[in-house]
Amino acid sequence: MTPKHPSCRAIESDLVATATGEAGAAAARRVDEHARECPPCRAELGRYRAIDSIARGLRHDAPPPADVAASRSALQARLADLKSRVLTYGIVPSPLGNILVARSEHGVSLVEYLGEATTLAGSRLRELADVETVESSTEIARLRDELLDFLAGRRRELGWRLDLRLAGSDFRRAVLQAAVDVPYGAVTSYASIARRVGKPGAERAVAQALRWNPLPIVVPCHRIVGSSGKLTGYAGDKLGLKRRLLDVEGVRTTPAARDFRVAREVMYVRAGDDRAYCLPTCGDLPSHSLANLTLIASRAGVEALGLEPCSDCRPDLHPLAG
Amino acid sequence: MGLGLFDDVVAAHHPEIYRYLRRLTYRASEADDLAQETFLRAYRAWQGLAPDANVRAWLFAIATNLARNHFRAESRRRRAYVVAGERRAEADPAGPEEEHVFRETRALLDRVVAGLPLKQRLAFTLRKVHDLDYEAIGESLECSPESARAHVFQALKKIRVSLNGHELPAMEPTR
Repeated sequence: MTPKHPSCRAIESDLVATATGEAGAAAARRVDEHARECPPCRAELGRYRAIDSIARGLRHDAPPPADVAASRSALQARLADLKSRVLTYGIVPSPLGNILVARSEHGVSLVEYLGEATTLAGSRLRELADVETVESSTEIARLRDELLDFLAGRRRELGWRLDLRLAGSDFRRAVLQAAVDVPYGAVTSYASIARRVGKPGAERAVAQALRWNPLPIVVPCHRIVGSSGKLTGYAGDKLGLKRRLLDVEGVRTTPAARDFRVAREVMYVRAGDDRAYCLPTCGDLPSHSLANLTLIASRAGVEALGLEPCSDCRPDLHPLAG
Repeated sequence: MGLGLFDDVVAAHHPEIYRYLRRLTYRASEADDLAQETFLRAYRAWQGLAPDANVRAWLFAIATNLARNHFRAESRRRRAYVVAGERRAEADPAGPEEEHVFRETRALLDRVVAGLPLKQRLAFTLRKVHDLDYEAIGESLECSPESARAHVFQALKKIRVSLNGHELPAMEPTR
């Protein structure tokens, strides 16, 4: 092989880039000028141009449209399956400790008190079979802001779309749905929820369903208490959180034997689904038990429900203090 | 970034990603699997993607990464090389003389490309077939844009050597 002429070597490094149109203007001009005078380099440039052009022609090679469509529909089936299994979550530091919020494509599916923990270790999210978790604080940002507003009393409704699939059974789902309907600043009993879901007497089962409520705060199980007015329990052993949530909503509680009791003497009362509301002392009320009563902390709460004052006790003329 | 938007990503990019993987693989089913895995992975990471990210380059990077893992077994790659060449040779019918030279060269080039070292082959395909810039190619191959460019030029030089003595269609200089 004869050694290359120095002028050929000088443009060698720019020759390929010139052929593919990627050389700078000055380098390309040098290569072109040299190639005009040098037949071997001109031929080389031509060959690279041919190769580049043929290579670019490969972009017109397309697989059969039927294959593309089949691949696409197989992908869509797997994506639909994945989407239904993915839970996006974030951990929100709050006055009630760290709170995990997770959502699926259908809605918010899990809210969990983590206490001091800042990871999923020990979270229910870890125990769920057939679920993929993806952390995304950006995706959860709006939920976080609304949740913090709610906990600070700046927002009365969360209005989130809910995914109740983690509830575990149709009965539990029905209980959660009934709990969602208990309004802000109001309190009712496990027995009354049991009645609402068509299982009067099943208050223990209702209490169990709410104990495992996958969506505390959002599904306001803190508004559900014993028929005596005692708080009885919350999310396992978190009675203090139940008091604080009720306090945010204006529901006062007072200590009772190893528990707390809703201060019902300062709350308005609604019997069943009556359109009227009463003073707690109204003689027209069916019984003292909360089994079929809802307590409402404020006039604003009563008015938000569109209730009329009872014509016997006239709560409109004798409003409760507070 | 809403979840619904990911369907738009699939609609916009699936055909090209599939075409890319189809070119790289031996069987259509391999391209199918890799394309599905590419988009399933993308979906999982989608919510964490920066709003101004180049989605196309990002998808190519995921697909390339998966393809590289797939080809890591050398024997598989050799098989792909031999059969890909045969398949394409079959697919090219004879035509008028000049067309014939062009097609023959293309089939030959395809075979040479299939036999290149994997990084060069990927860089070459991303650049010439899919027109990605060197930055995006570097992202796909986890190297600098300069290295990506070097891979493409190495590929071109090897192709040039492999086509030595082979008749090439005449190309007029464009400048």
